[in-house]
Order: sequence, then C-alpha cells, then structure tokens
Amino acid sequence: MTGTPVISLGDIAKSYEDFELGPVDLTIEPGYVVAVVGPNGGGKSTLIRMLMNLVQPDSGEVTLFGGAYPDDEVAIKQRVGYVPERSVGHDEMSARSLGEFVSRFYPGWDQRLYEDLLQRARIEPDKKFGKLSKGVQRRLAFALALATGSELLLLDEPTAGVDPFARREILEDISRFMHDGDRTVLFATHVMEEVRRIADYVVFLVDGSLLGLHEKDALLEGWKIFWVDREPEGDIPGVVEVVEGGSPTRIVSDSPQETAEALSAQNIRIVRSGTVDLEEILTHLMRRSKEGCRA
Amino acid sequence: MSAGQKQVRIPLHLSLDDPQPMYRQIESQLRDFILGGQLKPGTKLPTIRALAGDLSCSVITTRRAYQDLEGEGFIRTRQGMGTLVAEIPEEKMSAYRREAVDGAFREAVRAGRRAGLTEEELRDILEETLQREDTNVHQGGTS
Repeated sequence: MTGTPVISLGDIAKSYEDFELGPVDLTIEPGYVVAVVGPNGGGKSTLIRMLMNLVQPDSGEVTLFGGAYPDDEVAIKQRVGYVPERSVGHDEMSARSLGEFVSRFYPGWDQRLYEDLLQRARIEPDKKFGKLSKGVQRRLAFALALATGSELLLLDEPTAGVDPFARREILEDISRFMHDGDRTVLFATHVMEEVRRIADYVVFLVDGSLLGLHEKDALLEGWKIFWVDREPEGDIPGVVEVVEGGSPTRIVSDSPQETAEALSAQNIRIVRSGTVDLEEILTHLMRRSKEGCRA
Repeated sequence: MSAGQKQVRIPLHLSLDDPQPMYRQIESQLRDFILGGQLKPGTKLPTIRALAGDLSCSVITTRRAYQDLEGEGFIRTRQGMGTLVAEIPEEKMSAYRREAVDGAFREAVRAGRRAGLTEEELRDILEETLQREDTNVHQGGTS
C-alpha cells in the first residue's frame, strides 16, 4: 500500500458556535470502502462536506489525490462523485436533465451506466425530482454520483429513507463500482448492517472526535464476549465490561486471548464465547473516549 | 464497470466463532478444495473484492489469504489474468494429503492418551477401525 493517498486530512479542525470538529487526522489509501459511523450530530456530514470544499477547516490540511483546495478544485472534483445529505436545487429537474447537466462537468461521464442505473431503480427519466419519493430521490442522487466515472465516491447516508430492497441494490452497486481495484468509497451511515456487509475500514466519529480508523475484520475478530461461571477477581487484562449478577456472568474483552488466559489462571470456566457486534463495540469505544482513559 | 465474466462461486463459509482468524479460514478451505480436486489447476478465482463481497469480509482479509496461498504455491496471480489455481506437482499434492492424515492421526493419538489408553489399546482401535471401514466399503459404503 504505497503511493498517493486518496484522502488525507492533516489535523483539521472546525469550530461552530455549538459544535467542534477535530482535530482529525485521517489517511485513506485507494482501493477501500471506508464507513464513517457515529451518532447524528457527530460530524459525519461536516467531514464529508469538508472533503468537497463546501466547508473550510479553521486549521489543518485537506488533500485529495495529492491536490489541495482551492488551487486544484476542478481537477479534484472531476474525480469525485458526491451524494450530499440533501440534494438541493434538483426539485424542478428531471433525471434526464440532471444527467445532462452533471455530465458537462465530468469528462468520464458514463451515460450508459446512468441509464442502466435509472432503469434498475425504476426511475422515470422525465419525472421531476421533487415529485419522486424520498427513497427514489436518494437512488437518483446515487446514480448521478456513480455515473460521473469518478475514482472516489463520497456518500453521505446514501441509503437514508430507502427501502430494504433498494438498499440492497445500492450496496450491490457500490460493490460493483469497487471491482475496479483502485477505486475508493467513503460513506457515512448509521446502519451497521451496511458496514458489516461492504466496509473494509470503519471510522468512528463521535462528538466531533475521531475514534480511530479500524480495520473492520480486525475489529470483529479482536473483541469477544465470554460467559463465565463466576465473576473474576481483581484486574483481568482486556476486560472492557463485566455485567455483574448475571448467571452466567457476561464479560466483554478487547484482547480475548489474554482475557481467556487470565480467567483460566483463576480457574474460571468459560461457559460460552461469542462475538461482539459493531454497535456494541462502538458503544464501548464511545464510553472509553468520554472517560478519557486509554486511546 | 463491465458486466464481468462468469466466475466460479466457491462455497466458502466464514465463522466469527471459529478461533481461527478469517483469512486463515479462507486459506484452509481453499487449500482443501484445491487438494481435493474440486478446484482444478487453471480455474479462475474471484477477485479479492468479489470474494470479500460474497463473504462480507474486507479485502484486507481476502488479500492476505490469497497472498499466503500464493506464497505456498497453490494459486498464482497474473497481471491482467486475475488469480488462478496453480499447477501443483504430484509429489507436493501427496505430501499435503499425507500431512492432513498425519495430523488426524496425531490428534487421535492425543485424544487416546488423554483418555488414558495404552499403546496396545490404541493399536487395537486402529485395527478395529480399519476392519469396520473395510466392511463398510464392501457393503456399499456410506451412501
């Protein structure tokens, strides 16, 4: 993994009256699907808007494909397909006219793909955007971003308000986009199922702070739940949480092997073990960051 | 974004409850299919992205599995051709098969020792098992 990162954020920070983002340090190499996850108001949209130069950081550097705003704005944006949280100013335009409009800015515009995507989403080309349902509007916005022929997709909750079948199709389209090895997707979501299905990396963004860039599989493999026949005494390495009073007792660990060894040293039997889902991992990471202990 | 050519879908299965990491699970299952002849030399394997999509894991995991298998000589990647099952020399195939059998016997012996059986008793079990299996085969096997 060498070469120019697709996205590089160097210590960027932004203050609003009631919200602070950053400092965020983040580097993303080409070829990966990165999910940005976190509660609403955590800074997901601000981060993505910053990557589109719609918000400027107070400090720090935003670099895409090695270029910076504002000097390289045109060159950068020709390589980026963007689905905003809300599509503004589209209401009076049809899918056909939106395609004609957007295609002018992208040398790599793929009209055939655009028409395929419209058909797949059953979007009538001449119906006005404003007359489409919320879910169909999202799919149209997504089709516009995909058809730009860009190497990078920035998707701000692309499946919000979309029904489960359409969501599945969007996820498939993202996967298909990724089949050309060097493309990159960064998408914000709070649907963990989407993260589980298509992400390579997960970025947790909570209250404007980045809780790391995690390799998804390592995260899922690195946390375990143990049910044990009695509560352990003293410090057990790796233990994130012990639910007391349960029978058997439930222990969450972020270093399963060490925890298991320490438990067996205390002659505590592991009745069952299981995996921790991403929601729960996020909850623990959030609590840990609030307590300010450990990174 | 081409339509993509038809590709084999390999029945791999990942479990997070398995103590082995996911890339190891992929490696050992693919190795078994290759050694077992279900995946013949020259068979085109899915790209790391397609495989990751099928298994809902990351490309980091599938890439690691392919790299290890390539290092062991089971598969090879050619620019523009994708990843193919390699031609594996017969002696290597039999060595690997032998290794699997060795491992199974080793496990069986250990299980016997844990159960407190003597060497004599273990030999008896082996004899009995061989005879029983032979009879099974002659009677039409396990179908």
